[in-house]
Amino acid sequence: MSELIAIIDYNMCNLRSVEKSFRKFNCQIITTNDIKIISKADKIILPGVGSFKDGMKELRKLHLIDTLNESVIRDKKPFLGICLGMQLIAKRGQENGETNGIGWIDADVVRFNLNDNQKNLKVPHVGWNSVKYKKNCLLYNDIPDNSDFYFVHSYHYKVHEDITTGETKHGEVFTSSIQKNNIFGFQFHPEKSQAMGLKIISNFLNL
Amino acid sequence: MKVCIKCVMPNTKPDLHFDDHGICDACRSQTDKNQFIDWKAREIDFIKLVNENRIHPDYDCVIGVSGGKDSTFQVLKVLELGLNPLCICFEPTIPTKIGRKNLDNLNNLGVDLIHIKRNPVVYKKLAKEALIRTGDNEWQNHLGIFTTVPKFAAKFNIPLVIWGESPQIEYGGPAASKSRNNLDRQWLEEFGGLLGNRISDMIGVDGLTKKDLSLYTYVSDEEINRAGVTGLFLGYYFKWDLREVVSKSREYGFNHQDRPVETTYENFENLDCYSNHVHDYLKYVKYGFGRATDNACLDIRLGYINREQGVRLVNKYDGRYPSKAVKKYLEYTGFSQKEFDNIVDSYTNKRIFVQDENGNFIRDIDNSLVRKKEFIVE
Amino acid sequence: MLKHRVIPCVLLKDWQLVKSINFQSYRTIGHPTSTARIYNSRNVDELIVLDIDASQNIGGINLEIIRDIADECFMPLTVGGGIRTINDIHKILDTGADKICINSIAIDNIKFIERASSVFGSQCIVCSIDVKKIGDTFKVFNKSKGILDLDPFELARQYQEYGAGEVLLTSVDCEGVAEGYDIDLIKLFKNKLNIPVIFNGGMGSPMHAVEAIQNGADAIAAAYIFHFSRFTPNDIKLALNENEIPSRIPMIIN
Repeated sequence: MSELIAIIDYNMCNLRSVEKSFRKFNCQIITTNDIKIISKADKIILPGVGSFKDGMKELRKLHLIDTLNESVIRDKKPFLGICLGMQLIAKRGQENGETNGIGWIDADVVRFNLNDNQKNLKVPHVGWNSVKYKKNCLLYNDIPDNSDFYFVHSYHYKVHEDITTGETKHGEVFTSSIQKNNIFGFQFHPEKSQAMGLKIISNFLNL
Repeated sequence: MKVCIKCVMPNTKPDLHFDDHGICDACRSQTDKNQFIDWKAREIDFIKLVNENRIHPDYDCVIGVSGGKDSTFQVLKVLELGLNPLCICFEPTIPTKIGRKNLDNLNNLGVDLIHIKRNPVVYKKLAKEALIRTGDNEWQNHLGIFTTVPKFAAKFNIPLVIWGESPQIEYGGPAASKSRNNLDRQWLEEFGGLLGNRISDMIGVDGLTKKDLSLYTYVSDEEINRAGVTGLFLGYYFKWDLREVVSKSREYGFNHQDRPVETTYENFENLDCYSNHVHDYLKYVKYGFGRATDNACLDIRLGYINREQGVRLVNKYDGRYPSKAVKKYLEYTGFSQKEFDNIVDSYTNKRIFVQDENGNFIRDIDNSLVRKKEFIVE
Repeated sequence: MLKHRVIPCVLLKDWQLVKSINFQSYRTIGHPTSTARIYNSRNVDELIVLDIDASQNIGGINLEIIRDIADECFMPLTVGGGIRTINDIHKILDTGADKICINSIAIDNIKFIERASSVFGSQCIVCSIDVKKIGDTFKVFNKSKGILDLDPFELARQYQEYGAGEVLLTSVDCEGVAEGYDIDLIKLFKNKLNIPVIFNGGMGSPMHAVEAIQNGADAIAAAYIFHFSRFTPNDIKLALNENEIPSRIPMIIN
């Protein structure tokens, strides 16, 4: 594979796990926040763990939003958002007040709202949970429906477009994966979901 | 790194304990062997157990054999006691000519021998995955021996299984294991070197199914109990001396090699399989000691050499790259040299061996690793 | 549905992975690289590694080995051992670990939890509490300080208030003995905290896992069963599923 895959480093997560899961496939990956390199990449990964506010702050500080818009919206390069990376491409985040996201997806990122008779359910949503397919998605090729993936988050998508590819239940049913044209987002961590997760990554590389 | 003051075993060996005098527990065990164990009493116990279990009309016991010095000795001992053993050989990974010759020799001592030629396609898949996953390229072979021998004993209703030396008595090991006279399922799970991997964990590897792995699946508790299978370590009941074992086996036709075996200074061990030398080398890269250290320690404990000689032998022979064995291993598995090197490097001990600034292990011109100063045996 | 997690919890001592019995008498369970690889192939849900030499070592936690282990894990990895500063946490997460585990520092300075969770997110902070039963009461136990006059549940509740993401509760009396979890201890916590509690210590057979979760454990950790018994993580998960406890059993894909 001679494609260049850029993993965006915006100080919002431990990148090593994401890097090493891609390295399993012998592809050319680079972890960077250098605008020039990102614009040369063929595919883009936005990982991330942490708060929406902090994530957007870092992206702005590093002047990455324009480059991302150009590469993903204008040039239609395949994009993979993981966890916070999927959340940040929404229009708005509701963590500690409202923050504007990158805005590619008409969605709000809201906190889990578990009611009193769900006392045994906890936030953050941590652990393995199943993803039920809602639409066909190439990145789920060869992965059985209702497979378990690893989640760790307190906020989730409330999406206003018909782009949900996978749903998960934790008290309420929420969108766990999306696809809008060349944009793929996963609330869970494929790089932490063993064989099933690695298959998603391999499917993304094979696009 | 601490090294036993009596033998030359380093404390990088897992589960080896040193007492306040700096003596390792394998040396302590040897002292027990020489001074505190009533071997006469143990022999009587052994005969008693044998007589209690001689219920099969044709065979008195089952012995797992390779044709090597140990199994030849075991067969001789058992024949001396007037028993008729059924011998089972679980084929080695990469058989050698001399190994085959020795197996024939064992057969010619006058015993029935079942030579298990396992499914080579399944076996190779296990072998390759075992190297990558566990760092032990002989994992599947140990498992094969420890499961097929009791399996045949149970299926044929021959209760007594006779194993050779007790590894923990001879080489040291967890305290819980030393008083064990028998090898059963629990022994296998705890002390059998399975490294946390089980045969059912191999289902799915390269398409392997549960049925493919039935040979390596331990026989059920019901069958073991019905047949009353009991596995005894001969080395628990009879004082085991490595060189006496070699000498006796040679007397009865066991062949040793003309030159030292690739990973050590002696010429009588692991002759039946090239993969064993790769296994010994892997032990060296992981823990900083190999077959030469094992041999030197035993020779010191048995009084054949002194410690000074042991130190010289270890520094001369331990860690030599077994080129011929590796070549055969690569031919057998289909791994490339690079793939093999990467796997070996992932198991190489960063604490013991020197790396360059890029994290690559430094090797001398003969391909051997370089030990850090504080890890050189003195 | 969120699955109950089955988590190996192993100790790093002297560059080897070991397990203990009642916090004493250590036994090697394997080479770090092979153990991590094997766990990864066995589809365990997470892995916890605690460096028990860390507090005595000048350099703190053995980052080299942790990195080697992290490189093999494609499931979440929690690492603990002698953590005292925010920088310690940075260094551990940089090796590829996902969560960190703190014990003594949380007892000494509960505000550290607050700081750590505000920097790294509470989902990253696991607080470990070791427990001994004295007569009829459970008390917090600390390896260097001994038995403390602290109630484990109360302590866990405070940890939660200060921002811990999870609690790892180890029964010193049960660990390594393989005779089952301390069910009375588990019952103390059932449905009381808002954060997950992982119980550690005592699993000798899959039915112990069933018992623990039926009595309120969110997740279970163990070491003995994975190394010295015939049972595999899959056996445990099958037993859970057979008892209607949701557990992850991945199907084999190529």
